[in-house]
Amino acid sequence: MEGIIAIWQRDIIKFFRDRPRMVGSFSMPILFLVVFGIGMGGSMESLVRAGTNAENFNYTEFIFPGIVSMTLLMTSIFSSLSIIQDRDFGYMREILVSPVSRVNIAIGKMLGSASVAFLQGVMMFVLLPVLGIGIDPLSFLLLLPVMFMIACAFASLGLLVASLLNSMQGFQLVVNILVMPMIFLSGALFPLNNMPGWVSFLVTLNPVTYGVDLMKHIMIDVESLSAGVRQEMGLNLTFFGQPVTMTGEVFFLLGFTTLLILLATLSFRRANS
Amino acid sequence: MIEVNNLKKNYKSFQAVKNSNFRVEQGEIFGFLGPNGAGKSTTINILSTMLPPTSGTVTINGYDVVKEQNRVRESIGIIFQQNTLDEKLTAKENLMLHCKFYGISRAQRKSRIDEVLEIVDLKESIGTLVEKFSGGMQRRLEIARGLLHYPKVLFLDEPTVGLDPQTRAHVWEYILKLKEKENITMFLTTHYLDEAEISDRIAIMDHGEIIAIDTPKRLKQQLGGDIIEITTSDNEAAMKEIRENFDVVDLSLKDDVIYCKVENSDAFVSEFIKTLQTPLTGLDIRKPTLNDVFLSFTGREIRD
Repeated sequence: MEGIIAIWQRDIIKFFRDRPRMVGSFSMPILFLVVFGIGMGGSMESLVRAGTNAENFNYTEFIFPGIVSMTLLMTSIFSSLSIIQDRDFGYMREILVSPVSRVNIAIGKMLGSASVAFLQGVMMFVLLPVLGIGIDPLSFLLLLPVMFMIACAFASLGLLVASLLNSMQGFQLVVNILVMPMIFLSGALFPLNNMPGWVSFLVTLNPVTYGVDLMKHIMIDVESLSAGVRQEMGLNLTFFGQPVTMTGEVFFLLGFTTLLILLATLSFRRANS
Repeated sequence: MIEVNNLKKNYKSFQAVKNSNFRVEQGEIFGFLGPNGAGKSTTINILSTMLPPTSGTVTINGYDVVKEQNRVRESIGIIFQQNTLDEKLTAKENLMLHCKFYGISRAQRKSRIDEVLEIVDLKESIGTLVEKFSGGMQRRLEIARGLLHYPKVLFLDEPTVGLDPQTRAHVWEYILKLKEKENITMFLTTHYLDEAEISDRIAIMDHGEIIAIDTPKRLKQQLGGDIIEITTSDNEAAMKEIRENFDVVDLSLKDDVIYCKVENSDAFVSEFIKTLQTPLTGLDIRKPTLNDVFLSFTGREIRD
């Protein structure tokens, strides 16, 4: 137990010490917010308004949870990948020769990466007033544990990937074939409707899809939207024909995290021998 | 303290370690030498539970390295070849994390950290980021960290590699001080053979086998005497003279220098200078070093 805390603590200390990284990691989400929120926002809003007669439709409200999810995804995956650096620069050996069990090492690292991502994600909320979006305190409180859970799911994915990669060389590859498609095929930046079958299949398996959807359902008053807007904005998710519930999404993410932590632990054991 | 019985390690068809046996006693400094690729790292990795053996048994502090991994890990400290400190953390933070990894109780942490920093003279730098430390200070901090959980055996894998000679000397000073104070068993590998001299016993490994194991003194004695390097104006004639008049163990000519191995160099030299007819231009007496031992057992220099 103490081992998990120690590994987690190391990530937290380093996060607060590395101010430039903290600031730097906002550049990408803000860029996306500008490109999709302002750039695409205008045409999206006029399309939705014309199609559904929803006069007060605000696209930025839909994109913000997506951008926060994107921040959670990128930060937690990149933090988890830092164990590759630890392997190259030696700190991993210090951990591996200690009596801390392998599964606790994986859990500690997952919690560390998830916490760092969570903190980054929470910091995004200072942008809300600038964007002119309001959120009631209760929804925000509910959002915090959900965001942490989402970050855990992404961090465990990063951990599994890190255990399979031999060097930082594969980093760019991971970003290109994993992180970017996961963002684009999640509904984080634009609604995914009427996709060809194989794309919907990928969307259904993508954990980011459910993270984004959970956050949207908490942040946006979905009940007050007309059925047309809900459909247009991709808020009626289905899981192989079944309508998706928020409880279902929570279980999916928890199950995903557990499974990937186990796989990552096994993968580390194998790499070790 | 360390017992290795019939240890073997194969990588596919390659035998990295072939049937090794040795024991290291409590409080002993055990030097483990061998050329690169001899199987040294593999052996250390097995002893430190990082690698499972193919067959054979290894016990450390009475615990089996395969069946009682955690017990073994608690019993050993390791100073690695490369730096394994977190440079973005302070000395204290590095040591604190180590305490937690090894389950040292909250009440003991502070006093232990003070104690080990005292040994390596780093008390003033406790709050400094490790990246601001010099190479020698980092090494010392690593030694301090390795001692934090009171290991029974300390593995030192090339502890002074990449350090300047002065810092190297310092590091050894600390290590010897430690042995005197704590009576820790030390398992040491190094490329600097002069440093291996401090070992109580030395094992030489080559091609996955332990080919010699004894005290440094006896290993050198086994070489059968001192080496005298002679240069003369006519080496051929001088060699002929030596062969006729003296009882030498070995005689050879290399790069215009005669290498003459004799059992007792003092007796030989006093007689030799008196009787030699060929004009002498140079003479050098060399007691055998571990390097000579190494060369004679492996046929190579350690750095080859």
